[in-house]
Amino acid sequence: MLELYHWEPNIYYLKPLIALKEVRAPFTSRYFDPTSFEQYSPSFPQNTESGLHLEREGPVLVDGVTVLSSSFFILEYIAEAFPAANLLPGDAYEHYRARAWGQFAALQLSPGVCALGCAKYLAPTLKSRDPGQLKARIERIEPQERRAAWAAVIDGSYSEQALAAVRDRLAAPVKRFEDALGQTAWLAGPAYSVADIDAFAMLSPLPDVAPEVVSEKATPRILQFLHRMRERPAVRQALALAKTARPQEAFVPGAEPSRWG
Amino acid sequence: MLTLYHWEPNANSGKPMLALAEKGVEYQSHYLDLLNFDQHKPEYLKINPDGTIPALVHDGKILTESTPMMEYIDETFDGPPLRPTDPKERWRMRWWMRFFDSYFAPSLSMIGWSVFVGPAVRNRDRAELEAAIERIPLESRRIAWRKAMFNQFSEAELAESRRRGAFGTAALEQHLTAHPWIAGNTFSLADINGFNLGYALPLSQPDRCNDEKTPHIMEWLRKIYERPATKATWAKGRTQMASRVTLLQRKS
Ligand SMILES: N[C@@H](CCC(=O)N[C@@H](CS)C(=O)NCC(=O)O)C(=O)O
Repeated sequence: MLELYHWEPNIYYLKPLIALKEVRAPFTSRYFDPTSFEQYSPSFPQNTESGLHLEREGPVLVDGVTVLSSSFFILEYIAEAFPAANLLPGDAYEHYRARAWGQFAALQLSPGVCALGCAKYLAPTLKSRDPGQLKARIERIEPQERRAAWAAVIDGSYSEQALAAVRDRLAAPVKRFEDALGQTAWLAGPAYSVADIDAFAMLSPLPDVAPEVVSEKATPRILQFLHRMRERPAVRQALALAKTARPQEAFVPGAEPSRWG
Repeated sequence: MLTLYHWEPNANSGKPMLALAEKGVEYQSHYLDLLNFDQHKPEYLKINPDGTIPALVHDGKILTESTPMMEYIDETFDGPPLRPTDPKERWRMRWWMRFFDSYFAPSLSMIGWSVFVGPAVRNRDRAELEAAIERIPLESRRIAWRKAMFNQFSEAELAESRRRGAFGTAALEQHLTAHPWIAGNTFSLADINGFNLGYALPLSQPDRCNDEKTPHIMEWLRKIYERPATKATWAKGRTQMASRVTLLQRKS
């Protein structure tokens, strides 16, 4: 039986929840709270990849003895294991497009979405914790990029100016999604695919955390896409797995932005 | 009809070149000189408006992301499979390709751009260089070129890239201690990807990547170097960068 370690149905955690519902795979839900650092406890499943992976606190799927991390590749894994659900385009070029979107979203969209969400919701949550204990906990995190991402949430790195720059940098990638959705019904082509699940999870916080970039007026097609996604039974079922009243406020530090600028 | 727009067998360009060679697929090769900014010329921007290489054009379909491009090549053409059939190995192949593409390779390439790409163009006319920067479509590539041309990489960012290079090297050595190939038991696209980023590590990081400290990386690189497809692909190189690959020749 598959076991999914996840938090609230938002950002990275939302993706495998939707996919597992789409393919109707039975799985054991292992809910954890990353803001309590449960993912660093010795009993949490781990391997080399989960320790190094660039999405850091994201979900892991455990299949037998294998611990799978990196959310888009978890989606591909689920889609390949349950081919009848057709979450991968049958056409090789559309399949390429699905993968290219997955890569694009991971590198160009997710870092900014997570930074904005953390500044708005995670930072105030962490403020209510004992600062000494929190700092000491963060200092023990390995590897150092992962530690730095947590430290940034509490050390004032998210200045207004820094956040404005993050929003500015989101404009170009968001425009690519908006334009693409004007050309085909779904991101990879005429058929719904893992690319849509992946993009939905990262685009859906944007009307809240970056309303100047994603809104009814600025990006009508993205808004319509979000709406179409929310009407899918699998998406509703995944969102219904929330344990808090406001799952859309659940953020963790995600992948870092490119160091090349 | 299959056309590949590429530079040297190295980094992103070398990935589809080596994948096509492993499959035994013939293609029309279109060499773009990165140091001559061919990738920003209007003819090429019609193919890839981002102005990055490589790009693959197959019967009118355009592919511009080298890692998904390799999966397309494997999926579309006959020849030996380059992806494992075991789903867990396939996942591992993809996981490591992402680690290579967005953690390890950018750090090594920042160093490469500061010691090789920058100096190779730096003594050209300043106005000409500024004009070349203006023609670059992607903001992130403009920043990279500016830093390379005018030697503006900060000591701190270079030091961080060196640290990541060392960290990535150690992680790779550890991984290859447990697995003969990146995905596990099967040679795959992840090895093609990793070879393109790592074939010159013994030269660029001699104190970190060598027979004593990283014997598994050395053996893995040599095994890939010995494949006929690798020999044929690197023979297409036109610069000294590609000829560095011969350092992997075993001493008999
Ligand atoms: N996302 C692309 C990136 C391709 C890329 O950045 N290629 C580099 C060469 S390895 C390039 O085109 N540089 C030329 C430039 O920036 O002008 C991929 O993964 O293939």
